[in-house]
Amino acid sequence: MTSYSKEVIADLVSGKLPWPQTRRIMSAYKDDDRFFKYIQVLQDRVGWSDPILLPVSDHLFICDSAEGRVTKCECGHSFGDYRRNWKLAASIIVRDTEEALREIYPNSDIPDPQWMEIREFICPECGTLHEVEAAAPGYPVVHDFEPDLEGFYREWLGRPLE
Amino acid sequence: MLNKPTAPIRERLIESERLMEETGCYDGITSLSLRNEDPLKFETLHTKLRAYCVSAREMARRISASPGVREVGEMVVAIYTPEGDAIALSNGIMVHVHTMSRFIKWMIRNGYEENPGIRDGDIFANNDAFIGTVQVPDVMDVMPIYHGDTLVGWAGAVCHELEAGGITPGGDVALAQERFTEGLFVCAEKVGENDELRRDYVIRCERNLRMPIYWVLDEKAKVASCIDMRESVKALIDEIGLDYWLKVSKEFIEEGRRAQLARTRQLTVPGKYRGHTFYGHVTAGKPGYQPLGDPDWLYNIPIEMEVGLDGKITMDFEGTQPWGYHSMNCTPAGMDGGMFVTLTQHMNFEGLVNDGAWMATELKLPHGTWTNPDNEMVATATSWALLLPAYGVFQRLLSRAFLGRGFVEEAFVGQVNSPMIEMGGMSQYGTPFGMAHFECAAAGSGALAIKDGLDTAYVGWNPESDMGNIEIWEQNMPMLYIGRSIVPNSGGAGKYRGGCAFESTWLINKTDHLRLVTSEHSSRVFDNGGMCGGYPAPTCQKHRAVRNSNVFELAEHGKPIAHAPGRNPHHSDFEVRFEGEFELVEGPYITAPHKSGDIFSHSYNGGGGYGDVLERDPVKTAWDVENGFLTKEAAASVFGIALADDAEGFPVADVEATERLRKRKRAERLEKAVPVSQWMAEQRERVQQADFAPEVRKMYASAMKLSPRFTREFVEFWDLPEGFRYDG
Ligand SMILES: [Zn+2]
Repeated sequence: MTSYSKEVIADLVSGKLPWPQTRRIMSAYKDDDRFFKYIQVLQDRVGWSDPILLPVSDHLFICDSAEGRVTKCECGHSFGDYRRNWKLAASIIVRDTEEALREIYPNSDIPDPQWMEIREFICPECGTLHEVEAAAPGYPVVHDFEPDLEGFYREWLGRPLE
Repeated sequence: MLNKPTAPIRERLIESERLMEETGCYDGITSLSLRNEDPLKFETLHTKLRAYCVSAREMARRISASPGVREVGEMVVAIYTPEGDAIALSNGIMVHVHTMSRFIKWMIRNGYEENPGIRDGDIFANNDAFIGTVQVPDVMDVMPIYHGDTLVGWAGAVCHELEAGGITPGGDVALAQERFTEGLFVCAEKVGENDELRRDYVIRCERNLRMPIYWVLDEKAKVASCIDMRESVKALIDEIGLDYWLKVSKEFIEEGRRAQLARTRQLTVPGKYRGHTFYGHVTAGKPGYQPLGDPDWLYNIPIEMEVGLDGKITMDFEGTQPWGYHSMNCTPAGMDGGMFVTLTQHMNFEGLVNDGAWMATELKLPHGTWTNPDNEMVATATSWALLLPAYGVFQRLLSRAFLGRGFVEEAFVGQVNSPMIEMGGMSQYGTPFGMAHFECAAAGSGALAIKDGLDTAYVGWNPESDMGNIEIWEQNMPMLYIGRSIVPNSGGAGKYRGGCAFESTWLINKTDHLRLVTSEHSSRVFDNGGMCGGYPAPTCQKHRAVRNSNVFELAEHGKPIAHAPGRNPHHSDFEVRFEGEFELVEGPYITAPHKSGDIFSHSYNGGGGYGDVLERDPVKTAWDVENGFLTKEAAASVFGIALADDAEGFPVADVEATERLRKRKRAERLEKAVPVSQWMAEQRERVQQADFAPEVRKMYASAMKLSPRFTREFVEFWDLPEGFRYDG
C-alpha cells in the first residue's frame, strides 16, 4: 500500500515538494492513510489546539471547540457553527464599479458592473481573503460546502465522532 | 424458429436495464466471478481492449485530411457491448464515449433491427444531439461486430468536423438560432454497407459542406478505425471463446462502476457542494440574428453536487436558465459528455474507464432549461459555450472535496471557455473553403492547490491539449500569423495563479472574401471562478481588428508593426502602429467579410486562481513579469509585490518592500470591508426594488419561472415577503 511520511505530506501541502516528486505522487496509487496525516500537518501549522475535523478552504477548518463544532480561520477567529454558512459571518469587499474591478484586472477587458460584481469574503480579524465570488448583483451568497461530517467519520474513516 | 423474437437486441437491452434496476449492478452482475477466477487474465484483456482502441485511433488520424483530427487529435474511438454500453475507449475527446452509447441505444430502441436492419459490415452515422452527440460537428460512426450470427458488440468513432455546412462557416455554427440553420444533419442513418460508405451519402456531403474533404476523409478514417477494432475483437473472441467474451465485457463495465464508487469514497468527502458561474450573450444589433428572442441574455448556471455515502455523485442544475434561440443549448447527451470527460481527467486517470463510471453518477437536468430543452428544434452547435463553464464549476466542487480529504495535488480550479474562430469564403488558393480554427485546444488551466495552472496547455474537452503548428494552420486558411503570444495577467490572480492564455494576430492575405465568426466566449461577465480566495480569470475579452490597414506599406518601408493588441485595453497597439479602420467588437464576431491587408486578433482564456493573492511568492512573480505572464503593474497593485530592476534591467523581488506593501494592503482590506450582514441589509432594498439591469432582472424572472427551489432559496436569503417574484 502506498504511504508517505508526514514530512512529505507537509511539503506537498505547502507547495514546497519538488515537482518530480509531486508528479510521482500524482501518478501513483493514492495513499489511504493520507487524511489523518494531513490533519496532523494542519494541526501543527495552526496556532491553536482545538482539534481540526475537516479543512474546508485554504485557511478555514471545521474544528471541535468549547462552543461546539465551528468553522475557524487559521488565525483562530471563529465563524460559528459549522453547519451555517461561514460567509455570512465574514467581512466583505464588493467590487461593483469599473474602477474597483480595474484594480484587479488592470490590463484586460473587464465585466460590466451592472451584470457582474466581485465579492471578496474576508476574515474580520486577520484580513485573509478566504473566498471570491463572481456573481450578478442580487445573487444570493453561495453556501459552498455542507459536509456530512458524521457520516464521513463513521462510514468512510471508520472512526465515529463522539 | 417460430418463437424467435424479431428484435432480440432490443429485448436484451430492456432485460439489461431491468436487471440493473433490480440488482443495482450493471446487467445484474452481482459478483465479478471472472475477475475473481483469474484476475491477471481479466486485467490483461481489459488493457488489450484499450490498446485496440488507442492504436485504431492513431491509425485513423493518418487517414484524415483535417488539421483538427491530424494535428490536435479531435477524435475518440471505443468498443461497446451489443446493448451499446462502452467497454473500453481510446484517448482523445473522451466526451463522446457515452454520447455514442446513447446513439446505439437509440437505434436499438427505434426498431433498427427490423428496418433498416443491422448487418455485418453496416455503417451507421449520427450528428443529431437529441439522438446522441454534443453538437452538429461531432459526427460519429458505429459498426456492429458480429461473431458468426451473433452480435457481440459495436465499434464506434467520433471526429469533430471543422465544417458542418451551417448558416455561418465552420463547425461550431455560431449564428444558428434553430436546428434548421445548423448545417448537415445525419440522423442515425445507415450510410454504408459491406464496410464501404454509400456513394450517394458521400455525394450528399460533398454538395452540402463548404469543405467536404474534411468530413468525407474523416468518415473514411472512422470507418477504418471501426473495422480495425472489429477485426481485433473478432480475433480475440477466437482466442478466448464467445461465452467468455460476452461475460467478461459486461464484467469490465460492472467493475468500472464499482471502481468509480470506490474512487469517490477514497478521494472525496460526502456532503453537498455548491457553486455557480455566469455567461453573457450579447447580440443586439449584430447582422444576421433573427429577432426570435431577447438579443442580450445573462445566464446563471448554479450547480449543487451531492456526494452520497455510497460514493455516488449527483449533479443538479436546478435554477439555471431556459433554452433559447441561439446555438448554446445542450442535450442530455451533451451534458453526459461534459460529465464524462471531467471524470476521466479527475478520478479515472488510470485509463481503464468505461460506461461503468457513468453509471455511478447522476445528472439532474431540469426540463425546459438549456441543459434539457423541451423542444427538439433548438440549436446546440455551440453548446460548449455553456457546458465548459458549467463543468468548470464541477471541477471546483470536486476540488473542494479533494482538498477536504487531503489530496491537495488533485485540487484544480479547472476549465474556462475556449473561444473559437470559424471561417469561410475564398481561400488563398482561390477556392471556396470553410474551417474551424482549433488552436483553441490549448488554453490556460485553472490553478492547482499547490502550484500555478498550466500556461497554454489545457482545455476541458480534450485531456491532450495541443494548439497545432502555425505552419499547418497557415496552409489551411488565407491568414498569416503576425503574432502568437502569451496574454499577461490572463490567469486569475491568487497565491497560485491560473494558467495564462495566448492570443493570435493575423494578417488576412490572398483573399477578397474571408468571413470570420467567433463563438464560446462570454461578454460582460466572467464565465469562471477562482477557489479559496483566488480570483476568476478575465474571460470577457473583446475582439480587435483593423480593416484596410497600411500593413503592406509599413512592411515595404521596413517599419515596425504591432504583433498583438497590447496591454492597454483602452488604446490598443493596433491603434499605435497601424492606420486603417479600427474595430472593437463585444460578443460574437459576426461582421462583413474581411480582405487582404486586414488585421484580426483573437485571444483565448486563462484559468482561475487559487488562494489569497497576498501569499504569492515574490520570486516566482519576478520570473512571471520577466517572462510576460504578469505585468509589473499587476504584480504591485494586485499581488502587493514590489519589484526592483537588477543591474541588467531584469525584475527582481524586493522582499522587504513587499512585506511592507502587503501589510498595508491587508490593513486596507480590513478598513474597507464591512460585515456581510451589513452589506446584505443594504442590498435588500435594491433586490426588492429589482434595481438591476434589464438582463439581470430577466435572468431572475426566468430562473424563478422554472424553479420553485430557486425562488424559495432567493426569497429566504433576502428575507423577502412570501410570494415575492420578479416579472419578465
Ligand atoms: Zn483570520
